[in-house]
Amino acid sequence: MTAMQSLDIQDIAVRYPDLPAAVLAIPRLVIAAGEQVVITGASGSGKSTFVNLVTGLERPKTGRVAWNDVDLAAYSESARDRWRAGNVGLVMQDFHLFPGLSALDNVLLPARLSGAATVPRIARAHDLLTQVGLGRPGQRIETMSRGEMQRVAVARALLRSPGLIVADEPTASLDPESGAAVGQLLVDLARAEGSTLIVVSHDPRLIALLDRRIDLAAGEIVADNGGGPS
Amino acid sequence: MGRLDRRRAAGGARYSAGVTVTLQERALRLGSARAADKFDLVVGAAGSETQLVLSSVFLQPAALPLMDGDVLARLNADPRVAWAAPVAFGDSFAGYPLVGTTTTLIQNTSPGFAEGGMFVTEGQAVIGAAVHLRLGAEIKPMHGTAETGGETHTELVYHVSGRLKPTGTPWDRAILVPVQAVWHIHGLGEEHDDDDHGGTAESTAPAHAEDHDHHGAIDADAPVNEDFDAHAPGLPAILVKPKSIADAYKLRQDFRQGATLAVFPGEVLTSLYATLGDARQVLSAVAIGAQGLVAAALILVTVVHIGQRRRQIGALRAFGAPRLAVVTIVWLELFALVLLGIGLGYLIGYGAALTIADRFTVQNGLILPVEFARQDLWQAIGMVAFAAILSAIPAILAYRQSPVTALRS
Repeated sequence: MTAMQSLDIQDIAVRYPDLPAAVLAIPRLVIAAGEQVVITGASGSGKSTFVNLVTGLERPKTGRVAWNDVDLAAYSESARDRWRAGNVGLVMQDFHLFPGLSALDNVLLPARLSGAATVPRIARAHDLLTQVGLGRPGQRIETMSRGEMQRVAVARALLRSPGLIVADEPTASLDPESGAAVGQLLVDLARAEGSTLIVVSHDPRLIALLDRRIDLAAGEIVADNGGGPS
Repeated sequence: MGRLDRRRAAGGARYSAGVTVTLQERALRLGSARAADKFDLVVGAAGSETQLVLSSVFLQPAALPLMDGDVLARLNADPRVAWAAPVAFGDSFAGYPLVGTTTTLIQNTSPGFAEGGMFVTEGQAVIGAAVHLRLGAEIKPMHGTAETGGETHTELVYHVSGRLKPTGTPWDRAILVPVQAVWHIHGLGEEHDDDDHGGTAESTAPAHAEDHDHHGAIDADAPVNEDFDAHAPGLPAILVKPKSIADAYKLRQDFRQGATLAVFPGEVLTSLYATLGDARQVLSAVAIGAQGLVAAALILVTVVHIGQRRRQIGALRAFGAPRLAVVTIVWLELFALVLLGIGLGYLIGYGAALTIADRFTVQNGLILPVEFARQDLWQAIGMVAFAAILSAIPAILAYRQSPVTALRS
């Protein structure tokens, strides 16, 4: 299991050539290890850019994005891929599961491609599928409901015991009931695993489950109800 | 996606057109060369060389001009000739061509008897391996063929005395009878002293019905007489086995003068192959053009395909799959698909060539050996290499693509 991750962002400014204002500008943001944070904001407020930066999918041209003092901004693309594979569990609105594969194979696919599907990890995949409430690991993904699919995605995110779980609108494409269940599952599992949890959401029920709320507007933090200096 | 995959495999399968053209042309060349194998030198009356070969080697029905009967006697007496045998055709039975010839020709050009034996009387016949008749079966010869409104002879009924082993040539479909019987049926050479019929310019085959009146009874039990003299009736073709290659060339020279024509079937076939080769080049050019279009379509479909899978590829990267693994998957998937297409192309092409060859054999008796050659292997290797490179294009695109933009699309 990887170490709990604490985030320290300094002097980030992401600009695109055809836009006059920065899409995201954060002078300083600290998220402590094990914290559970929700990022909210209207469309275009910079939420996606924030997720891309903190997961290393995108590299800032200026500033520092440091997880446990590892500055992602200094890493190459391949190095960030490797870091993300080992430290980040991603859950997305669109699941991104692969039809034709079973629930178990979907959970194991990224680990298999990295050559990291060890025997204990396969056992953990079975275990996680049980924990998210799916009793048939061999069931093909296309025969599942959307709520079940997102549960598979949650199990996949947790497989390598990441220090950080990032969920981008995890409940937005689910019906209220499934959304509530998946949201609760995320919060509970992150706490049980000791992972830092960052959720991007509009869902009031999910927002209510999380300790800390950061509001973004026009690329800047406009409200933050906790944590360190901002 | 499934639709795109099928289209890609179908594109590869279209490659079969080129394979069929190449295989078929080669089969025709090999098959006809084998058929002409035993035919060293063919002598006939002055006329078309090609027709003489097509009629004697491939038994293609045609009214050939006749040469004088003494040509056979001259050839038999020639010290440069190992043996010479008459070939008289024009009649048929149940779609099989009837060929009047001698025991010498049968012994020297066939691999022996599968059952029964040689004809010993005028009323007996030897059949090729592909003639569906039983030993002892009755054969009532017909002038020409049924298609051309042939008329059945009533003077003589042959009985099958033996069946030859297969040769893979059109002669497998032939019914071989004593040449003297053919002459007698057509009212020729009954009396050697009587010169009325000898050397007539009329073909043995299209003999007229009125001729039948004055040579009523033919003795089916008369022994076969193969002692031909200068008074033998006219013949359309004589197959000659020269003693040496030098003799072959001298004989060809000597018998290319005046009223006779002498040809090496191999030589005539070579010029036919040249024509065949030209036709193949045209067909191959068309096939290559089609392949070019297919390749262009493949590239287009491939790029569209990768566009459609951008999100999946981006997601895999986002979930931590190494770049190289993703690239390998994309490359392998496309390569396997194109490979499948090429494989199908070869199978369908081979199948089509076999089917065409079979149909050809049933109609003409000539066996067309459909087989792959070394150049096909090189072509296949070239296609596989092309497929590998083609599949690398989307793989490289996938490598260069940022997971963020891929996910956003």
